[in-house]
Amino acid sequence: MSSTIEQPRFTCALGAYESVVAIKRGVPILHSGPGCGGKVGQLIAQGEGYAGGSTAPCTNAEEQDVVFGGEKKLRSVIENSFKVIDGDLYVVITGCTAAITGDDIGAIVGEFQEEDKPIVYLEAGGFKSNNYVAHERLINAIVDQYVDKFAEDKEVEKGLVNVFASVPYQDPFWNGNLEGLKRILEGIGLKVNILFGEESEGVKEWLTIPKAEFNILVGPWVGLNAVKHLKRLYGTPYIQFPYLPVGAVETSRFLRQVAEFAGLDPEQSEKYIKKEEGKYYAHIDKMASFMLEFRYGIPRRVYTVADASTSIGFSKFLLNELGIIPGTQNIVDDIPEKFQEAVKKEYEDISNLGRQRDIEVRFDPDAGKAQEVIEEDAKNYPDKRILLLGSAWEKGLASKLKADLLIVSVPVQYRLIMNCGYTGYEGGLRTIEDIYDRVLATYR
Amino acid sequence: MRQVAIYGKGGIGKSTTTQNLTAGLTELGKKVMVVGCDPKADSTRLLLNGLAQKTVLDTLREEGEIDDLSYIVKEGFGGTRCVESGGPEPGVGCAGRGIITSIGMLEDLGAYTDELDYVFYDVLGDVVCGGFAMPIREGKAQEIYIVASGEMMALYAANNICKGIQKYAVKGGVRLGGIICNSRKVDRERDLLEAFAKELGSQLIYFVPRDNEVQRAEIQKKTVIDHNPEHPQAQEYRNLAQAIEDNQMFVIPKPMTQERLEEILTEYGLFDDLKETASEENKTIRIAG
Repeated sequence: MSSTIEQPRFTCALGAYESVVAIKRGVPILHSGPGCGGKVGQLIAQGEGYAGGSTAPCTNAEEQDVVFGGEKKLRSVIENSFKVIDGDLYVVITGCTAAITGDDIGAIVGEFQEEDKPIVYLEAGGFKSNNYVAHERLINAIVDQYVDKFAEDKEVEKGLVNVFASVPYQDPFWNGNLEGLKRILEGIGLKVNILFGEESEGVKEWLTIPKAEFNILVGPWVGLNAVKHLKRLYGTPYIQFPYLPVGAVETSRFLRQVAEFAGLDPEQSEKYIKKEEGKYYAHIDKMASFMLEFRYGIPRRVYTVADASTSIGFSKFLLNELGIIPGTQNIVDDIPEKFQEAVKKEYEDISNLGRQRDIEVRFDPDAGKAQEVIEEDAKNYPDKRILLLGSAWEKGLASKLKADLLIVSVPVQYRLIMNCGYTGYEGGLRTIEDIYDRVLATYR
Repeated sequence: MRQVAIYGKGGIGKSTTTQNLTAGLTELGKKVMVVGCDPKADSTRLLLNGLAQKTVLDTLREEGEIDDLSYIVKEGFGGTRCVESGGPEPGVGCAGRGIITSIGMLEDLGAYTDELDYVFYDVLGDVVCGGFAMPIREGKAQEIYIVASGEMMALYAANNICKGIQKYAVKGGVRLGGIICNSRKVDRERDLLEAFAKELGSQLIYFVPRDNEVQRAEIQKKTVIDHNPEHPQAQEYRNLAQAIEDNQMFVIPKPMTQERLEEILTEYGLFDDLKETASEENKTIRIAG
């Protein structure tokens, strides 16, 4: 492992506070040094949500809180947060300072929990993990300390599912992507707890987590510990689909797998799939002449600098539905080694034509290195127009390579994202629109 | 200005030795500051004739900040300047960071003035984290004395402390000035301590005999020199002060392995009784068999 990582595209464990912000009326309470939350927010968050950004209460722990412990200050910040911020769920998240000093967060938060206040805590000293892992631990903390305690009804409800997919804010399209997943899953007849974002019902929805018939995990690794935890706790089975489904082919594949796992009436789910595919291809059909005429205008080769779930999802779509060939794939989410083989396998089997492909997949959080690798590889294809799927930090590389850059990863900076999402049938169309948009914008 | 840190196993008598030795140095006309680096804040009690002193951290906690040295530096026996770092209440916060904060504050407020001949840091028994090594970091104490006795755990701790000193000595200028024996009247104690110090590449700088006068003085909240200047034990501390004043031997210690430490202990008879008992038992078993 290299000793320096240039341009990491994720944050320390404290970044899990953005997941709290993504829960409707969720209030993060930071027990950290001044500025920690701001730094995390600057890298991954666009917007402040309900109680994020500069609204988030923080103990601003300083030297005195290290020497004497920060417990008293934390208690007062919690008390006052209840007074001034009207929330449904409060989550105390501790940073490095408190973690090294050894403040007894469990005891302090426990005092409020005994009064049946909706509050949980997560120890997220930056050295503990990155924000992907902390996101999983946050889900488990809320389940253990809040859901399990307050859920009145834990009886399994047929057709109800919990979905764990995008990590809020870390995936800049999390809200749109989750909405997209919810829409298609409801389409085949399921009732969906999407848990984060505008399509969720907030804590009311979280309280029905134990009632789910099964859980759906979308992605190769993040969230696995959450669904496994729920299996241990409530015996809820889970199905894993290892990447974000983008476009008709992958979305239909995803829905069929879920429908089979759920034992849904195939006639009903196929009816939905047919209808959606019909609409999807009709839109493409309308543009067929233009797309045919313009076929030499669009990029021929795509490089990604993104997390595993996004990279595989887009690459499958781009190859099989738009004919754009994947170049080096740079997976920068620090995916643990034990999951890497499965990701490689997805790339080997990426082609729907059944032919194995040899695509270079790099697992390295050093995105600066990734840019070097892409620049070097691109020299072998001087006549190919290049599409870059990455972050705002790829802008320099894109202009160097005269590549079209579609920002799909944090930091975002050069685009405003509200509910844009790339999952599902509609997400596929949106991807086509956005790629053509980038390309056409270069014409005079 | 000589900056000196005193280390040693908990309960070995570091604070008692430091204060009695300080009293001896003041009689030599030396200007001394004693900085207690133990959260228990009992390093200057004998010099101040009581525990009334407010610690740096207590003051910091109550006042928020300290802008005047007189809050935290009190004058004790023979014009010594006494400071207690103090610490958080047991079980919370970070005492090690507290020491770093305190010493930093003393520097900022200009406590280290040129007229001082000695600054003594009396440090908690176990160097459990970086904070407790603060006094021997770059720019602080250049010489260290370890208080030990002939008891095995005291020597074990002393050897461990030498490992820490070695680490800092290689990077900076800190050196071991010697071992001070605070006698527990163990058999062949002086020989054992001399051999132990020699093995470390250092010296037994002084052997302080055990005497109940020390106890009596402590109960009176005084050093022996203050309490009973004519007593022979007072002279012992004067001699220790002189030995430190005259000391020329400063080394990077060579800590030994556990095996070697045990060998030395065995050599000096500490295990003789045990061995005899064991062989007696063996004999008995053989006869019985």
